[in-house]
Amino acid sequence: MFRIIKKSLKTGVVTGKYPRAETPVVPVVQEAKDKTKLFKRSLTIREVDTGSCNACEMEMNALMNPVYDAERFGIHIAASPRHADALVVTGPVTVNMERALKDVYKQTPDPKIVIALGDCAINCGVFKGSYAVTGPVERHIPVDVHISGCPPRPTEILKVLSELRDERRRSGD
Amino acid sequence: MADAQTAMTQLKEAYGASIMEMTPINGTPRLRVIKDDLPQVAHYLHTHPNLRGALSLLWAVDHRPRETRYELCYLFTLSERKDWLLLCTDLQGDERLFPSITPHIHAAQWYKREIRDMFGLIPQGHPDLRRLIRHEHWPKGAHPLKKDFPWDRVLGRQQGEHHFRRIEGEGVFEVPVGPIHAGIIEPGHFRFSVAGEPIMQLEIHHFWKHRGVEKLFEQQELTAATPLAERVSGDTTVGHSLAYCQAVEILMDVEVPRRARYLRSLFLELERVHNHLGDVGAMCNDTAYALPHAHCGRMKEQIMQLNDRVAGSRFLRGVNRVGGVGIDLTREQLTQIVAELDGIEPDFTELERILFANASLTDRLETTGVLTERTAWDHAVMGVVGRASGVDQDIRRDHPFAAYVELPPKAVLYQYGDVRARMRVRLDEIHESIRLIREIEQGIPQGPVLTMPTEVPVQGTWAFSAVEGWRGEILYVVMAGEQGKIHRCKVRDPSFVNWPAIQWAVLGNIIPDFPLINKSFNLSYAGNDL
Repeated sequence: MFRIIKKSLKTGVVTGKYPRAETPVVPVVQEAKDKTKLFKRSLTIREVDTGSCNACEMEMNALMNPVYDAERFGIHIAASPRHADALVVTGPVTVNMERALKDVYKQTPDPKIVIALGDCAINCGVFKGSYAVTGPVERHIPVDVHISGCPPRPTEILKVLSELRDERRRSGD
Repeated sequence: MADAQTAMTQLKEAYGASIMEMTPINGTPRLRVIKDDLPQVAHYLHTHPNLRGALSLLWAVDHRPRETRYELCYLFTLSERKDWLLLCTDLQGDERLFPSITPHIHAAQWYKREIRDMFGLIPQGHPDLRRLIRHEHWPKGAHPLKKDFPWDRVLGRQQGEHHFRRIEGEGVFEVPVGPIHAGIIEPGHFRFSVAGEPIMQLEIHHFWKHRGVEKLFEQQELTAATPLAERVSGDTTVGHSLAYCQAVEILMDVEVPRRARYLRSLFLELERVHNHLGDVGAMCNDTAYALPHAHCGRMKEQIMQLNDRVAGSRFLRGVNRVGGVGIDLTREQLTQIVAELDGIEPDFTELERILFANASLTDRLETTGVLTERTAWDHAVMGVVGRASGVDQDIRRDHPFAAYVELPPKAVLYQYGDVRARMRVRLDEIHESIRLIREIEQGIPQGPVLTMPTEVPVQGTWAFSAVEGWRGEILYVVMAGEQGKIHRCKVRDPSFVNWPAIQWAVLGNIIPDFPLINKSFNLSYAGNDL
């Protein structure tokens, strides 16, 4: 027990120890910001991987570590699409995942936003044109926010997510 | 005890009439065997107490348009000295049938089904000919790796349903899980049959993420495909790109500068450390022990930020290039890396003490998800999972590449094969990797880091290379096509071999322990599905 307490005291607070992100390449459009107003100050996310190389998953996981601690901004990860406000989709949509993606979209209650995370989700990246890839996420379901990068750094993801949140604060709800 | 030469002699004595030709390929003996006799030869090689060859890789090549034949190659690793031995056979003209070795060699199961799906060649006598990669909605006759299959025409759809193996009886029920899971992980389907709590059977239905990687390789130039190799499995960026680059370097006859070899080892070990740290934390998290998860997540993040500072990418992308490495590190950067790790190691050792002092954690980990040495050997399981089950195999030691000739690593080995053993392998390997990085920093020579490849390899020549990634042995087979393009690139992530083994490790365990067992294997879906 003392060992654990000692360790925690020695480590101190690490949250926020990361280099600041630059402005996102693809700016967040006003419509997306308007849509998220309804979610007030929290955003519950369901992550769907439709064929990524798993680097985007690692960065999403990193968002939840003590350094980034996205929970402090009201960002949660839901275990089911039925509990989610936002779908984060990574990877080009493979032929085998196409139906699963559409199912998840249907099962997410309205209102909802869809965030395409990473270059593959936006334009299929290096997998473009393959027989097993049916196209970017936008071809199958409407996408509201794009976060480019291969993979985008956690700071860049956080920047976009907090931009969706800042708008809410300014509108005063 | 047997090295490849004695194995050859022994095989020749036993099956002289079946062996048509013996030629080595990059130092590995290769036997061309008559198609119908291959199962016997393979069986002998696999079971003879002197040889005990484990099937490491099985792949097919479509030689069209140059020749109308398919070639099947079986790569075996002999026990003790870990020498490689290749068996090859041809399917001439319109032949589509070949005898299966699966009845004798478990490890061939998925490879054979893969060959059937990708090439339309039918393994006769295979006990399970259901589709593997081609999900049932793929149209009939679509075999993507055949040369006449267009790489860029998106597949159509047909009706179809996957039939799972079914256990029936009173009180037996099925639990389907996936393809989309509860956490932030990749898609895959697991079908459990349970009676009460214990799992009676698990069937894995994967390949949801199949992106056609091997076909995409065939559209690329030899020297330009490294970015694709980096994205086969994102968490193993360095491992995959290194294995690919090495294979191409053998083909193009490029001598990699010594400094570049040291840097490659350095990056590979950094990748191992940050992934192992993440795994240890995630395993604790799956037992609802959040504290180590938080500490490990913090340390992992520290290393990933370090990667970003020195290489400009958190995943070390763009580091490996054909002929060497794309970036050179200054003395300050090397010192910085070692200084950072010097801080992390005592920090991590303290955490280890906390872990070992926790009885309830040990209780969850011990005897959970046991993979016996016998099962592991039967399935040719490798890497971290293999070393936790007593399979003594480490490519860095057995077939040294990069700087490991000069800096041999100590292979970690545990016998119990449970979740705890797999965690302990990772804990020990973190220390070993940090030690290696220190040695690299001490001994790194000065000099250039890149040799530009000049030669264009002869069409039809091929090479294979192996790298011990953090999960285990990554194999690449690259065959040159016309004008410096790739004719065939076989990618084998250790996950492809280790996935079927989970089906055995979970038997008798309860479903709530499955996430923990799965995490202790931590296999890649992307690297498996390709």
